[in-house]
Parts: sequence; C-alpha cells; structure tokens
Amino acid sequence: MASIRVENVEKTFGRFKALNGVSLEVRDQEFVVLLGPSGCGKTTLLRIIAGLEQADKGRVWIGDRDVTLLPPRARRIAMVFQNYAVFPHLTVYENIAFGLRMQKVSPEKLKANVERAAALMHIENLLGRYPAQLSGGQRQRVAVARALAVEPEVLLMDEPLSNLDALLRLEMRAELKRLLAESRTTTLYVTHDQVEAMSLADRIAVMNAGAIVQYDTPMRVYQEPASVFVGGFIGSPPMNFLRLRVEGQRVRLGSLDLEPPAEVGAEVLLGVRPEDLEVYPAEQPQSFAAQVLVVEPLGPHLLLTLNFAGQAFKATVPPDFPAAAGQTLWLRPQPSRLRWLEPGSGRAFATG
Amino acid sequence: MNLRRLYMVLAVLLVVWVLLPIFLIATLAFSDRPSVFAWPKGLLPQQFSLETISFFFGVEGVWRAIRNSLAVAAMTLVFSVLLGAPAGYALARYRFAGADAYRLLILMTRAFPLAILAIPLAVRFIQLGIYDTLLGVALVHTALALPFAVLVTSSLFLSIPKELEEAAWTLGCNRLQAFLRVVLPLALPGLAATAIFAFVISWNEVFAATLLTLRERTLPAFLLTSLNDSPLPFRFAGGFFLIVPALVFIFVIRRYLFTLWGIASR
Repeated sequence: MASIRVENVEKTFGRFKALNGVSLEVRDQEFVVLLGPSGCGKTTLLRIIAGLEQADKGRVWIGDRDVTLLPPRARRIAMVFQNYAVFPHLTVYENIAFGLRMQKVSPEKLKANVERAAALMHIENLLGRYPAQLSGGQRQRVAVARALAVEPEVLLMDEPLSNLDALLRLEMRAELKRLLAESRTTTLYVTHDQVEAMSLADRIAVMNAGAIVQYDTPMRVYQEPASVFVGGFIGSPPMNFLRLRVEGQRVRLGSLDLEPPAEVGAEVLLGVRPEDLEVYPAEQPQSFAAQVLVVEPLGPHLLLTLNFAGQAFKATVPPDFPAAAGQTLWLRPQPSRLRWLEPGSGRAFATG
Repeated sequence: MNLRRLYMVLAVLLVVWVLLPIFLIATLAFSDRPSVFAWPKGLLPQQFSLETISFFFGVEGVWRAIRNSLAVAAMTLVFSVLLGAPAGYALARYRFAGADAYRLLILMTRAFPLAILAIPLAVRFIQLGIYDTLLGVALVHTALALPFAVLVTSSLFLSIPKELEEAAWTLGCNRLQAFLRVVLPLALPGLAATAIFAFVISWNEVFAATLLTLRERTLPAFLLTSLNDSPLPFRFAGGFFLIVPALVFIFVIRRYLFTLWGIASR
C-alpha cells in the first residue's frame, strides 16, 4: 500500500500536447478514478505512473519513492489492461503466478497467493485452462487476479470493463468495488464512463484536454461541477446551462428573483440539473414558464425538453406527470442546487 | 455466372500448368529405366521402381552437393533469423524516423537483379578469400532471404499485442525477459516458418551458387552444370529431389506466407 503523487507532469506526442502540467495526489488505500473523454490524456497519465511512458517533465512518486526514472518492473505496481493482456500461451494458474515467479517467491507462497487471488475472483475452477478457452468476463477476472497476486503497492486499471457487454459490466463493477474495498489497495482507475466513475470512486479526477479540471468526491463533482465541461460531461442527461442577463446584481427568471455571486459581469450562466427542477402544470409564485418541445418516456421518469426564451433545456418529471408537446409548464429550481458559472471561461463562481 | 465459369477454367488451367510438370517428374523419378526413355510417355505412373533414384544417388558428386546445399541452407536459415527477426521486431514495435523508407528499401533489394551484382560480387569474394566457399554462398543467400525474413517477422510481431509485453514489464520483467517469456513462445511457430522459408530460398537458389563456386557446388548448381551431359533418369531424379523439400516446406508454412501477402486465411 502506498500513496501516489504526480507533480507537474507534461507529455507531448509529436505536436499534440497530451498532458499539460498535471498534478495529482492519491492517498494510501484510496480508489481514484480518472474520468474524461477520449484523448483527454487520462490513459497517458496512467501509463506514465506505470512507467510504460516517460514524462517529458515532472515527477512521479509512489509512497516516498521517486519512481520517475524507474522502469515498470521496479515500481511495485500492477496494471490491468483494457484488452486484458492475458498471456495466451500460459494456463490461468501460470498467468496468475507470472509476477510471483518473476519475484522468485517460495513455492509455498506462490501457491498460496495464486489460490487466494483466484478465490477472490471466483476462478478457482478455471486454473488449468488456457485463455482461449475462457469468455471475455473470465479473462478479465484472470487479469485482475494476476494483478492482485503480486500484492502491488498500487493497482492501475485502464478501462478494464469497457470490453465487456453491458450486463456483465454492471456485475463486474459491483464485484470490483467489493473486492477493492476488501483488499484496500491504492487504486487508480481510468474510464470514460461517468456512471462507472460515480459508482466506484472515492474521488474522481475529471480530465479534459490534458489537464485535471476537477478533483473531488463523486457527489461533489456531480452537484458542484467546477465548470460547464464537468457539468455537461457528468450526468445523463447533462446539466442545463441557461444564459441570463444580470441587472443591478439581480437575475430575473420569470417571476423568480435570484441573487448571483457578487463578481458576475453583464451575463451569467445558471447551471441546474434536470432532476433539480420542480415542474408544475399551473402558474406558481417564484417560477418561470417554458414550453414543452419533446416528451420522452424513459420508464422511471419522463424526460422533457423545454424551451425558455430561445434556450433549450431538460427536466425530469414522474412518469404519471401530464405533459404534452406544446404545453406551457412552470418550473422552480431547488435554490440549494443552483450553480453560477462565468459565461466566457465556463468556470463556476466560488460558492459560499 | 459465365464470369464464374471463366474463372474456374482459368484456375484449372493454372493448376494443370503448375502441377503437370511436377507430376511427370515425380512419376518418372520412381519409374524404371525403360519407361523413362519411352516415348510417348504415359500420363499415369509407370512401373514403380527405385532404380532411377538410386542411380541418381550413385553419381559421383551428388552426395557432396547435397551436403553442401544442406550446409549453405542451414547457414542461410541461421543468419536470416538472427538478422531478420530483430529488424522485424524493430519495425513492428518502434516508430522511428525513416521506418517506412526502410520497409520499402528492404523490398527494393529484391528488385535489384542478381545478374548485375554477380560479377562485382565474384570479384569482391575473390579479394576477400570467400570465393568458392560455402560461407560465401550462404551470405548471398542470406541477402536474398533477408527481405522476406524481415517482413514476415515484422507482421508476426505486429500480431502479438504490445500490451502483452507491457503486462510482463509491469509484472517484473525487463525487456529481454519479457521477450523471452512472452513474445518468443508466441512467435515461435512464425519464426520457424521464417526459418524454413529462408532454407527453401537457399535450397532452390541456383544463379549465385553457380557463379560463386567451382568445386563447392550446391545441389542446384551441381545439377545445372552437369545436366547437359547426363542421362535422362538422372535429370528426372535430380529435378524431383530439388522440388520436393521446397514443396513440403511451403505447404507447411503456407499460413504464414498468406499473412505476409495479406490474404486472409483460416
């Protein structure tokens, strides 16, 4: 077990700047997810921590060791790859034992570790098989068992669930969470799937364009996005952003009178999640009117697309809510869930 | 449908064109003397007999030529794999400046006619003292086999995911250990195919072997120079003995040749 510390890491591929001075701290035994769209640099950052890629600038620490210049084998890490990277010429047993054999552990410890790792992943009955005889989900289990068997200080996972089908992914997700809570290994996990990130992480580091844009607990990242990008990337449907005029330090939204942060300019973005809008069929005090454009029944709720002063936004209502296209509805955002953002930079204003 | 039939006819013609001589040589190599000399020759196998073959092996110099051929082919095989596989690995794993140009250049060496090279090569070999040696012939054969060795092994290493190596690195291997423990076992069948192909190229090569040797003839060179003044059974048996190893080996490694040529197999 150990912490991870990344300081000002930069990486350029040709002319493409993959990482733009990234710093990150993962506490001992913490589960941190690197979340971002493809090409944001999250996998590159993970590979730099693994030692598979060399940073142009900056340092990487694992525990109190500066590992910046160490090869992967000397970093006491283990990695799970997106395509599993299970060795096809070795049995499941030998795959799991691979790292232990390289460490030259005693035969007793080797056997014990392999069996423990296999039991954790529920693949004890597959030990004699070759990877070609396994399903994708089973190969994935072998890959995780192989990583856990060496008892790494840090476990690095690169989109480990993205090659599984949807149902299996759901199952493995819950299992990984249980497993890693048990083993208490410091874990850094890369994904582009925001649901996966929300469900697994102690903390999420949201990345965009080679930089970490927000690093916080899942609920804080969800409820208090640091920027338009984070609010739009996390959540399905994403957060709504309404562009509103500021007049005399007040913002009027229908009959609703709101007070934006003191440092706003002439315009401000109001961020509100679709589920944080209370919807009424009749006029209410402290609300604003909007026309329904589309009604999408999604099962647990209806997803409404509405139009307010030329801006489209979304709201969710219970499935039995009487809503039809063309209708006018009145909405009231929950005051505690409002997020004020600066329209130019897209950054959120600090909330008190 | 007519086009399809045309294809079929062309395919059959092509197969006959390739297989008929091989078939005739094979049947006559195992026939007795009268049927070898008979004319017109029957299409079906004649009297089965080992007379022709045993006559062939009885001729002075044949055994020595076979031994030379084997030695040269073995050296070619070793050189080609030892030089070709690392180059193929580098082409597959590293993006380096001029990689594409290098790949093209390798093929260009095959476009350069050996006939133009032969005289300067012979002169140089005499100066170096490796004229009329097996090593000299093996070096030329290696040059001929190397382009194939590099390209086959490069596509072979490309087919082995880089993540397997990376996984080995994270599990405690250095680069050499990862190669030996993970890449090599997976590449072995393909490397064997590459080796066999180099062997066949050398075994069949006649031009350089004839020009660069006087006494240390390889089998094709020996046969070429003695063909005109040797009896018919000798020619059939010799031809047969030249064709067979190549055919067998090519058949064994055909899957790898297909992947080299970009034809989907399996």
